[in-house]
Amino acid sequence: MFNAEKFVEKTISNLQNEIKSKALIAFSGGVDSTVCAALVNKAIGKQLIAVHVNTGYMRKNEPEQVKQMMEDLSLNYRFVTASNEYYLALKGVEEPEMKRKIIGEKFIRIFEKVAREEKIDYLVQGTIAPDWIESGGGLRDTIKSHHNVGGLPQDMKLKLVEPLRDLYKDEVRKVARALQLSVSERQPFPGPGLAIRIIGEATPERTELVRDACDIVETEIERASKQKLMELPWQYFAVLIPIKTVGVHGDKRAYGNTIAIRAVQSVDAMTCHYSTIPHEVLDTISTKITNTLKENVTRIVYDVTNKPPGTVEWE
Amino acid sequence: MVRIYVIDNGGQWTHREWRTLRDLDVETNIVPNITLLKDLEKENIQGLVLSGGAPRIGLDSKLGNCAEYLDNAEFPILGICAGHQFMARHFGGEVKPSKIPEFGQVELTLCNADDPLFKGVVKKSIVWESHNDEVTVLPKDFILLAESENCKTQAMRHKKKQFYGLQFHPEVEHTQYGERIFQNFIHLCEQ
Repeated sequence: MFNAEKFVEKTISNLQNEIKSKALIAFSGGVDSTVCAALVNKAIGKQLIAVHVNTGYMRKNEPEQVKQMMEDLSLNYRFVTASNEYYLALKGVEEPEMKRKIIGEKFIRIFEKVAREEKIDYLVQGTIAPDWIESGGGLRDTIKSHHNVGGLPQDMKLKLVEPLRDLYKDEVRKVARALQLSVSERQPFPGPGLAIRIIGEATPERTELVRDACDIVETEIERASKQKLMELPWQYFAVLIPIKTVGVHGDKRAYGNTIAIRAVQSVDAMTCHYSTIPHEVLDTISTKITNTLKENVTRIVYDVTNKPPGTVEWE
Repeated sequence: MVRIYVIDNGGQWTHREWRTLRDLDVETNIVPNITLLKDLEKENIQGLVLSGGAPRIGLDSKLGNCAEYLDNAEFPILGICAGHQFMARHFGGEVKPSKIPEFGQVELTLCNADDPLFKGVVKKSIVWESHNDEVTVLPKDFILLAESENCKTQAMRHKKKQFYGLQFHPEVEHTQYGERIFQNFIHLCEQ
């Protein structure tokens, strides 16, 4: 059985051997990168610089929360705001793999810039097993290019350090608990962020819509789970489908987008069952989203697809 | 400690097979499917899992060196999904694209509850699937162990050797008796 304490001990000693000078960690504020940062911090201390990039595709208030987390962990950190750069790079891009690769490359270019300024040779990433499995290669088919694996540019010079490669999310959470990190139970959020929760072009306007919708889904599901109306899903969010349908708002015709509610139960992200959300909770979410997003959203649907055949995120 | 390796045929769940074995205290490694049998024997392995993978056994006939393992191995072999289909084809059975493929949750029905691989597994249980092809004709040296509504050959066993094929995936979290099936296979390898 996986032993988190032993893993921590062994990994810290491996990292001390592997990292011979300054290192940079790609820090999203999720469980994987936070666990990774804590481990590397224990191994090499202030030689580690955490870099968080605000891509513009983060959830509501997330950049501020991540900044606070880096403070709380007393990390030596850099906070890069690059929203406009990302929006520009994704202008006109609809194909999901293209989105993922552009985002992956942008991350690396930003890290390389910091690395040059700080004279850093090593890039630490919180890559876990499903990231490289789904990114494919060799005999394995590419399901989706995770930004930290399949999205890495060929010419990257930084030496990669990925201490969590053989772990799944449930095991990373065990390590987080062993390290007493408050992030241990945080729901997963993909590196490409809200860009892959918008089907089609991820424009700034659509991003605002899906950001609000995700916030409502998260808030209402967390509330329902606190009230014991349902089990807290493994992951829960909204997806913007830019397919327009007709509605009626205040006796006037409306013609707006569709939002899908997605929530799944899983342990390791490799198989997932869609979550059973009680109708009263769906009802609240549906009304809140349509009333908040007004003429922009006229229809809410509930995703009942397992993985396989679906995947958790739509892109 | 028993030593069982996983042959990587490029499956999404190859690493999950490794994890399940490791969680059950097996000494395990993932090795490419072009590994020679003699190199595996040098490591004194006591069993082998042939993983699933993207290769379409219903359309293609090769799967690395899997044929060599099936011809000459003296230890138990568990073929999963593509590994199972290849095993069936190799011993003279037929594999074709499924009329109705299965993805996700399926009900498994055991046809032979006495087999040691299914010890402790109830007659009807939930398994998870992900396949485009299936075994349409069982090889003559094999017996059928389990089926589902849309796929006749969900599990099979060689009549004389400890070779098993499973169309479903015992290594994933959502398969109800997955870990139990692995425990049973490990037990066979220990003997």
